[in-house]
Amino acid sequence: MNNDNILSGRKNLFYNLIAILLLIALLFPIYWMFATSLKAEQEIFRIPPTFWPQKLNFASYAAQLESGDFNMFRSFSNSLIIAFSSMAISVVLAIPASYGIARYQFKGKSMIVLGFLITQMLPVSVLLTPLFIMFRNMNLYNSLFSAILADSTIGIPFSVLILKNYFASIPKELEEAAYIDGCNRFTAFGKVLIPIAKPGVVVCAVFSFLYAWGDLAYGMTFITDQVKRPITAGIYNFMGQYGTRWSYLTAYAVVTIIPVLLIFIFMQKYIISGMTSGAVKG
Amino acid sequence: MKAIKKFFRFDNIGYIFVLPAFLYMMFFVGYPIFSNLMLSLRDVNMRNIKTGIQPFVGFENYVVLFTRDSVLTDALINTLIFTVASIVFQFIIGFGLALILNKTFTLAKPIRGILMVPWMIPITVTALMFKFIFGTDVGILNYILNALGLISENIDWLTNPFTAKIALIITNIWIGIPFNMILIATGLTTIPKEMYESAAIDGANKLQTFKNITLPLLKPTIESVLILGFIYTFKVYDLVWVMTSGGPVNSTHMLSTYSYKLSFEMFKYSEGASVANVLFVILLFVSLIYLKVVYKEERT
Repeated sequence: MNNDNILSGRKNLFYNLIAILLLIALLFPIYWMFATSLKAEQEIFRIPPTFWPQKLNFASYAAQLESGDFNMFRSFSNSLIIAFSSMAISVVLAIPASYGIARYQFKGKSMIVLGFLITQMLPVSVLLTPLFIMFRNMNLYNSLFSAILADSTIGIPFSVLILKNYFASIPKELEEAAYIDGCNRFTAFGKVLIPIAKPGVVVCAVFSFLYAWGDLAYGMTFITDQVKRPITAGIYNFMGQYGTRWSYLTAYAVVTIIPVLLIFIFMQKYIISGMTSGAVKG
Repeated sequence: MKAIKKFFRFDNIGYIFVLPAFLYMMFFVGYPIFSNLMLSLRDVNMRNIKTGIQPFVGFENYVVLFTRDSVLTDALINTLIFTVASIVFQFIIGFGLALILNKTFTLAKPIRGILMVPWMIPITVTALMFKFIFGTDVGILNYILNALGLISENIDWLTNPFTAKIALIITNIWIGIPFNMILIATGLTTIPKEMYESAAIDGANKLQTFKNITLPLLKPTIESVLILGFIYTFKVYDLVWVMTSGGPVNSTHMLSTYSYKLSFEMFKYSEGASVANVLFVILLFVSLIYLKVVYKEERT
């Protein structure tokens, strides 16, 4: 698709209008959550519903910042720790692995690639019970580590498969030049190849972060103390306890999507490239 | 030159690079898969998980699960219906959107970008959002249906077994639209413009062009989207767990949620592991089909 031949006036207007209407229809649930989080509890139950809060009410946000069982601020930082750590593990392990697969021939390579492909399609259910027992025996149960370690099993295969293609597309001559300049294969890898593959690394980092940020199953199963749980499990608990406090619940949900929106705003092109690279969300 | 050859020599140095990730995955994925299999052949429950005395029972867990009640077979059927219904609508809507957004109008690109957002949001949040929309008295959906005169009484969306399934499917369609749209849109951009131009010269109408050019050239994309969609939808967990937890009375269980309930609410770890294995075998089978399809296309 070229941008240089934009449709003529009326057609252009027509398609713009259609697309905007579709966008509004599709994103309405997100808007509705946001609007509800700014309403007072009585206004939420009003019929007919108010499209926009008549009186802006930030109490639902403020209430959850105070101490208590459902300290939103704490679950938010737990989620940040889990997501950033899992991202670091995934990227650090995936970079060399994908380079090794892209550049070298070795026995069993195709089996290893097949293994990564299959783990990407693995349901969490298969790992939940055995990992639960394993983490209990390793004394990692009920700590952030359990969620970090488990979440990385999603980020690693995704990152390896994406980065493999990036490394494979880098011309070998660049490496040869580095070698002539006195690099060995490890320094050539670090000084020349990783910087070139940087866009791929960013895609992997973003997706590993998003996977871990969105995880509910691992965080909820391996961590039992509310104070240590990630924000997704926090919402789930909160729903169980205050099922109909929609003002609080939607405020909690809005806070949960803030990092996602930031990633979307600043890293949109990486998202699309990650989604279309064949290997996709697990 | 010889040195350069040596640099890229086919040797086992690749192992050094792959080893850390490989070991990690063996430890946290490979071993657990094996251990899940062993778990399903024993009787591990809340009482004996600490003592370690866990009798070997062979395939008894599987037999019990399939014969004791109909929850497992129902979950299997639910998962299948949920998956197929979701995919059909996601695909059609995603395809339609891709066709519209592939036109070159001013806002096409930004709107295509913004439509990614539903896919990026944590599923827990999406589930909460839709639980609110589907609420009996508080939900906006019932209000709209009422205002349009389509219903006279509020529907108990999530507490009626039939409508709960519909609600789950609708929510999942919403989640999956961006994925379908972006993959098909990307596929569409790979079709050379000249093909359409020559079709227009030959006097083909829009429908003929779509049937004879767009669809056949898009076949590899369509296959990937559908099979990947099947795999990702079939293992649904968070969405159902947050919206209905398998209720009312086990009517909306999927394989994943039933497995979770057995392991972590009823503490029958072996039964939970067995249900997970049923899910695993089905997905493994479909994954292998997918890999075969992709591999075949890469070669041709």
